[in-house]
Amino acid sequence: MSTSHNRFQWLLDAAYVWRQEMKRVFRDEGVLIFFIIVPLLYPLLYSWVYNNETIREVPVVVIDQSRSALSRQFIRMCDASPDVHVAYYAEDLDDAQSLVSRQVVKGIYLIPKDFATRINRMEQGTVSVYCDMALMLTYKAVFQTAMTVSQQMGAAIQTRLSGNYTHREDVITAQPLAYEDIALFNPQGGYGSSVLPAVLILILQQTLVLGIGLAAGTARERNRYGDLVPIHKCYNSVGRIVLGKSLCYLMVYAVIGAYLTTAVPHLFHFPQLASGGNLLLMMIPYVLACVFFGMTVSCLVRYRENVMLLMVFVSLPLLFLTGVSWPQSAIPPAWQGVSWLFPSTFGARAYIRLNSMGASLSDVLPELRFLWIQAAAYFGAACLVYGHQLRQSHRHAHERLDYLRKKRTVRQQLSRRK
Amino acid sequence: MKYLWQLSKLVKRECKILYKNPIYGFCMVLFPLFALLFFTSLMDDGLPQDMPVGIVDLDNTSTSRSLVRRLDAFQNSAVVASFPSVAEARRAIQENRIYAFLYIPEGTTEKLLSARRPKVSYYYTLTSLTGGSLVMKDLKTIATLGSAGVGQATLRAKGFTDKQIQTFLQPIRIDLHQIANPWGNYNMYLSTVFVPGIMMLFLFLISAYSLGMELKFDRGKEWIHMADGNAVVAILGKFLPQAVVFLALIFSYEYYIYEVLEFPRQGSVWMIVLLAVLEVFSSIGFGIFAFGLMPSLRMSMSVCSLWAMLGFSLAGSAYPLMGMDEPIQALSWLFPLRHYYMLYQMTVFNGYPLIDAWFHLVGLVAFTLLPWFVLRKIKNAMLTYVYIP
Repeated sequence: MSTSHNRFQWLLDAAYVWRQEMKRVFRDEGVLIFFIIVPLLYPLLYSWVYNNETIREVPVVVIDQSRSALSRQFIRMCDASPDVHVAYYAEDLDDAQSLVSRQVVKGIYLIPKDFATRINRMEQGTVSVYCDMALMLTYKAVFQTAMTVSQQMGAAIQTRLSGNYTHREDVITAQPLAYEDIALFNPQGGYGSSVLPAVLILILQQTLVLGIGLAAGTARERNRYGDLVPIHKCYNSVGRIVLGKSLCYLMVYAVIGAYLTTAVPHLFHFPQLASGGNLLLMMIPYVLACVFFGMTVSCLVRYRENVMLLMVFVSLPLLFLTGVSWPQSAIPPAWQGVSWLFPSTFGARAYIRLNSMGASLSDVLPELRFLWIQAAAYFGAACLVYGHQLRQSHRHAHERLDYLRKKRTVRQQLSRRK
Repeated sequence: MKYLWQLSKLVKRECKILYKNPIYGFCMVLFPLFALLFFTSLMDDGLPQDMPVGIVDLDNTSTSRSLVRRLDAFQNSAVVASFPSVAEARRAIQENRIYAFLYIPEGTTEKLLSARRPKVSYYYTLTSLTGGSLVMKDLKTIATLGSAGVGQATLRAKGFTDKQIQTFLQPIRIDLHQIANPWGNYNMYLSTVFVPGIMMLFLFLISAYSLGMELKFDRGKEWIHMADGNAVVAILGKFLPQAVVFLALIFSYEYYIYEVLEFPRQGSVWMIVLLAVLEVFSSIGFGIFAFGLMPSLRMSMSVCSLWAMLGFSLAGSAYPLMGMDEPIQALSWLFPLRHYYMLYQMTVFNGYPLIDAWFHLVGLVAFTLLPWFVLRKIKNAMLTYVYIP
């Protein structure tokens, strides 16, 4: 009877902690910004920024010194390609360079005087391509278009020279070994489709950690002794505090997480290959790991603003560590080790493979295992730091009590003397 | 003279604050240096090398094996596994073991020798754009080389010279000039924007933070009174020491990338100095303005961090601005990092004349002058507001 009663009381206490935390979250506008507004609006903004996915019609300037049918064909074919737009013609390189300098064009095609002559003499003709390397994507568009056009024109020249009889012979001469180019996932090569899934997962972790940190900072500043844990009978054991608080964050982020991983990709037509069940099985350990990670971090900061100074700037390094912008195989081992500390690393990897690549749960098993390990480890860490906070607030309370008692005895002694 | 005297006293007071609160040391020195080391060491290779690639070789002849060996010899790719079927290779991509694979069907060599035009395929994933496109380039080269190899053998047998063969196989050659970054090095391309961007984030945050702390610890009145109620002197006295620390930080960053790592640059040293000064003062200007608009520590810092994070996207260094919608292109003017990036790439990286980047220069100067609009509000806030946690 008494044990079941105790257990019930324990649950009631945890529920009290949960209620207090809920109130705190929804009354603190700083926390609300990071828990609700940022996760709602930031993904929309990012999706809008990247919704064109690729760049088309990169402007280039052409210097046609050959002025021949062949050079004009080269220019026409480049202009007709989806990625390049011949915006200007220039007389010489200086003219063309000043156009690049004024950011009007991103590259220069220079067709030398002897271009057509050399080709007709059965020598190699050259086209010089000058690229502005400040932007990798425009560089690729300018260079690859020139490559493709030169190969196409080259194939036509080859077949003309080889004197074949049938069309089939022409095809074989130009390309004896055919090949097929298949992009399996993200086939259009979209920038948004590749980066945004990782960004969504990262937003979840960062806003959660920032929000928890701010809430903890407020709790400390409201407390008379600057303690995180108040003196209250319901806040009497670590288990109750950690359970109550994490339940509150978990409830908020169940909604936010569902919005980030299903609604946003749906709104902006990003790939969505994962089934709801698989997504849920991946998101549960991820959100749990993030919650306990956030609670651990929140105990380390003294003032509420400091968590912002610490957590905001790591977002960018964390995005790189997920292996989206910079391939995972090229990340140095030391940084790989650092990346294991953060749930976002495994969360983003698992989410991308489930959702963009259609992997099954068993394919992302290592990541899921890591997420559960992180969730357990950070749960332990959260219990440890909250235990420390609890002891500290008890110590402060005892000190205060001793002080008051001493004060009373001194006062009594003084009054007795009188 | 009176102003100078006040200024020196304010500067002394600010130095004491910076020295006493360790958070300034972390945010003005340690964290930015960490970011610098992180990005430059992460991309130290310049280009990702030896990315794992798989093979599905059902032909298994000396010809197909030589294709595989050549692929392995490429700088960006390393052949790590061979699979018995396409399905298993695809699964290996989904398990993150390889980025791409080359499929050589049975009978490829036989068909090649009898001029029946066999077909090989390569599959790759673009979920990581950098990795995927680099591996794709290698695979495409291998497939093209396969064709060229056959053509070369045929032409040799017919008795053509090597020069004739080269001309026949590639009638038009592309002579590529990668201006200012001939290696296509990603470190030089990304670190030079993201590291200054993170420094800008701290400039924003620390400017708003240091103003907010005056309110929080109720020192605002004392601060304004030391300047005799003159907000300009008060602001100058407060932010001069910070600007000096940040300038030192940025110069050490420039020294590290240009002298130690030897990143290429076409622009002069004076352009670098001008850019560093503009970066520091425009960012401090933005931070003060953000605090002036909403004199609350929490709100202004939230706005500063959100603005700085968006700046990384809207700078248009990774994904070009020309690929975004027009309203966003216009919005990008509101981000100091956009102007910084444009000035940097035009005048320092490419070495073009400053006059071509005048708009972005004006942009950064405008950010520097922004606090002018909120001077009175800040003074008012310091004298009358009470901090609410």
